[in-house]
Amino acid sequence: MPTFKLDGKPIPFEPGDTIIRAAWKLGIEIPHYCWHPGLTAPANCRMCLVEILPKPGQRPLTLDILELDTKTGEYRTAQKPKLQPSCYMAAAEGMEVLSDTSEHVKRARHDVQEFLLLNHPVDCPICDQSGECKLQDYWLDHMQTKKRMRDEPVHKPKGVVFGPTIVYDGERCVMCTRCVRFMAEVAKDPVLDMRERGNLNEIVVSPGRQLDGHYTFMTEHVCPVGALTTKDFRFKARVWFLRTAAAVCQGCATGCNAHLDYDPRYNKAYRYRPRDNEKVNKFWMCDEGMLTYKEAHDGRVPEALVGGKEKPLGAALDQARALFSGVPKESIAIVLSAQHSLEDNWALRELGTVLIGSKSVFKSGKPDGYEDTILIHRDKNPNSKGVEQLAPGVKALPLLVDEVKASRITHVIALGGAAAVDVDGLRSAKVVVVAAHAGPLTQVANVVLPATSWAEHAGTYANVKGLRQESEKALEPLGASRPAWAQLAALATALGYEPSWKSMKQIRTRLGGAADARPASLPATAGAGQLGGGAE
Amino acid sequence: MEALDVDLEDGELELPAEPMHLNLGPSHPAMHGTVRIVLELSGETIVKSDVQIGYLHRGFEKMCERGTWAQVFPYVDRLNYVSPMLNNVGYALAVEKLCGLAVPERCQWYRMALGELARVSDHLTCTGAMAMELGAFTPFLWFVKAREMVWDILEEETGARLTHSFGRIGGMASPPTPDFKGLCRAALEKIIQLVEEGEKMLLKNRIFLDRLEDVGVIRGADAVALGWTGPCLRATGVSYDIRKAHPYLKYDEVDFDVPVGTKGDTLDRFLVRLGEIRQSRRIIEQSIDRMADEGPVNCDDPRVVLPEKSDVYTTIEATIQHFKLIMEGAKVPKGEVYSYTEGGNGELGYYLVSDGTGTPYRVRIRPPCFQITGGLSRLIDGRMLSDIVPTFGSLNMIGGECDH
Repeated sequence: MPTFKLDGKPIPFEPGDTIIRAAWKLGIEIPHYCWHPGLTAPANCRMCLVEILPKPGQRPLTLDILELDTKTGEYRTAQKPKLQPSCYMAAAEGMEVLSDTSEHVKRARHDVQEFLLLNHPVDCPICDQSGECKLQDYWLDHMQTKKRMRDEPVHKPKGVVFGPTIVYDGERCVMCTRCVRFMAEVAKDPVLDMRERGNLNEIVVSPGRQLDGHYTFMTEHVCPVGALTTKDFRFKARVWFLRTAAAVCQGCATGCNAHLDYDPRYNKAYRYRPRDNEKVNKFWMCDEGMLTYKEAHDGRVPEALVGGKEKPLGAALDQARALFSGVPKESIAIVLSAQHSLEDNWALRELGTVLIGSKSVFKSGKPDGYEDTILIHRDKNPNSKGVEQLAPGVKALPLLVDEVKASRITHVIALGGAAAVDVDGLRSAKVVVVAAHAGPLTQVANVVLPATSWAEHAGTYANVKGLRQESEKALEPLGASRPAWAQLAALATALGYEPSWKSMKQIRTRLGGAADARPASLPATAGAGQLGGGAE
Repeated sequence: MEALDVDLEDGELELPAEPMHLNLGPSHPAMHGTVRIVLELSGETIVKSDVQIGYLHRGFEKMCERGTWAQVFPYVDRLNYVSPMLNNVGYALAVEKLCGLAVPERCQWYRMALGELARVSDHLTCTGAMAMELGAFTPFLWFVKAREMVWDILEEETGARLTHSFGRIGGMASPPTPDFKGLCRAALEKIIQLVEEGEKMLLKNRIFLDRLEDVGVIRGADAVALGWTGPCLRATGVSYDIRKAHPYLKYDEVDFDVPVGTKGDTLDRFLVRLGEIRQSRRIIEQSIDRMADEGPVNCDDPRVVLPEKSDVYTTIEATIQHFKLIMEGAKVPKGEVYSYTEGGNGELGYYLVSDGTGTPYRVRIRPPCFQITGGLSRLIDGRMLSDIVPTFGSLNMIGGECDH
């Protein structure tokens, strides 16, 4: 692999890589606002300027400048090296690049940062980006000086509603055009652009349009400052109180990697952020997926239900025992759930096919929905592939309804509340459901045992490509809920069987080892301190 | 009623020789702070003593690992709470050593003057309380009156009488008030007068002297072996004062003597403390003479020092600086440091480890009291029960600092 030198350190690169990308791949950050690894480079923020030394024997590229002589107070002509944007400059074999070690580069960063802050409002205390803002980070890293301008800053529109999800603040904007490029390049909907020039520059939505579609949240995500905020997260939390868990989005079968940000003080999830994964979602997530963090709290089954009424867990298990006593195994069916993790489904399969000895295995899940060619998959379940892996040839739910109508099946143990079809026909059977969320199946259930959501216990999910991905625990369990595999173990005991699984570790061993992709936990934000008490 | 001992033979009248166990403390009016001494008494003679500390343990060192470096200041206030300013200055110096910072000269003189005021207050409290516990209430009231003058100055400067939280990394919370020098000069005059009056009353009192002289004696070599520092060590004749031996701030530029004792008994410890009050006065007077009236108090490093409030409210640069320093804390360079100063009771050391973030990785304190209290048993074993009170009083054990 060819290499170049950055501050004397050899950096390997693939032909075509820019200097900043080659460094980024090695975890070395050259400061930047406009560059994003998933977007094209416009080289307009000028923060990533580096000094490229001339080849031996060649004349350096220089600029004629006027320099203030502090002794005489006169300006004199001088020369300085012409700096190059590292986001646009292709790396070349043997190139020698100076970044942190060049005085000219440091000066340039300082001055670029000073310009960017020139008209910036004093908004940190009310800005949602505060705590994860590049302007804050780079002030400390590269500027560290006070304001010199005495004039009134230029004022621009604030609180401009761009669409159903996004609000824009022109004064905070640094005109990096990441949002413009994201909409054009990734979302393929070039609805944003900029108008005016210089310090009157601002981002606008195309006339007659608003910023909508399925990827509007990503414009906020790519915004390096607080110019774009989502209506969903605006003024809801301060990011330094949030902790993060590496989660897998439950919105569809794509299985986008995400950071689930939550406040441990209130045991509440506040938002998703995409977690970079080149193999799955690259840097992005869709709007629908970004909002599924709410399902950690919404539509949950917090307590055990018997005939639709809240009951203690023990009473619910007693009821299940009463319903199932003396039932021949041929009359019992189990329903695996594409909404639950591999571990949960494994436990139900073990209970149904091994302990009980039933041969009727069915599968439930949410109905199909919108799809596109970017990220969104038609299948709205995170673990359909996993269920198929666990039970090849698993039958669809309508077949169960038919079996029940024909009275061949009289008793059902199901995982998950979701169902894509009308399940009213199951009312004639005795149904026990272990579910995190309410749904058609919990409606027809005689007994519901509350399970934790994906946010409340670790789990493995196989996405549409069959990639098994692990999602971390973030929140503490709601109400009486326990992980579904633990509820199923309790159910097995209640039904008079000896469950062969007692811990997540045992299940994972028998599932055939760990997930293909284990999340590497990252701090919630660059500046996450220990203020609110760590989750770990 | 018939006398109970009427049938006893003469030989059987001896008192039982079994030792008596007595708990002194942890909450006893004559104990400084909450400490417990389990005594084995033969009559009134102490056969064996077991000093048990830890009743004021609050997990100070662990608490420091939660917040930012600057948020440690309120905790160090509560170490030796009789001279919080010395703890503040000591901690600030330790962090500055790790950061490689030097505060402006004006701040150094200011820190010395404030620190020595705290030392005066520390010694006044210790000696006054010790006299009171022996029944001499009047000198105690005079000494507390003098201490009140010190606290008035500190209140004027810091806004708080006891827990000032006045130190900052790279400076102080605010510059000296215009009245500072005048207040110091006026108060020191009166403080010394009060000390002298108290001294006259005590040191001509036979009972007081008898209770102190040749009580709680320790040899210099033993004190060194125990790790003693400060007035208690100097009372044994060992002239070791960190301000002289390893000068920090501007202590090498001022004239002062190190009072030492000869015998290492309780009286020596009492006298050394009174001597140090006079020396502190000399240091304070020289410091305020040489402290400039104008000029910066905080060093000019935006990475650790907070910006002006007026700038924070009006410019984004200062807002960011403030935000970064408050929310994330000053980033102290990765490394470790041991920094030590002369506290009220001796060597007050801070061992700090930084992992390069805004939060301390480890804060370890070396409180002078800890070693000194460790030697208490040796001073009182074989003595009478009543000797504990002046001996223990003269060691000036401070629970907040000892039970770090």
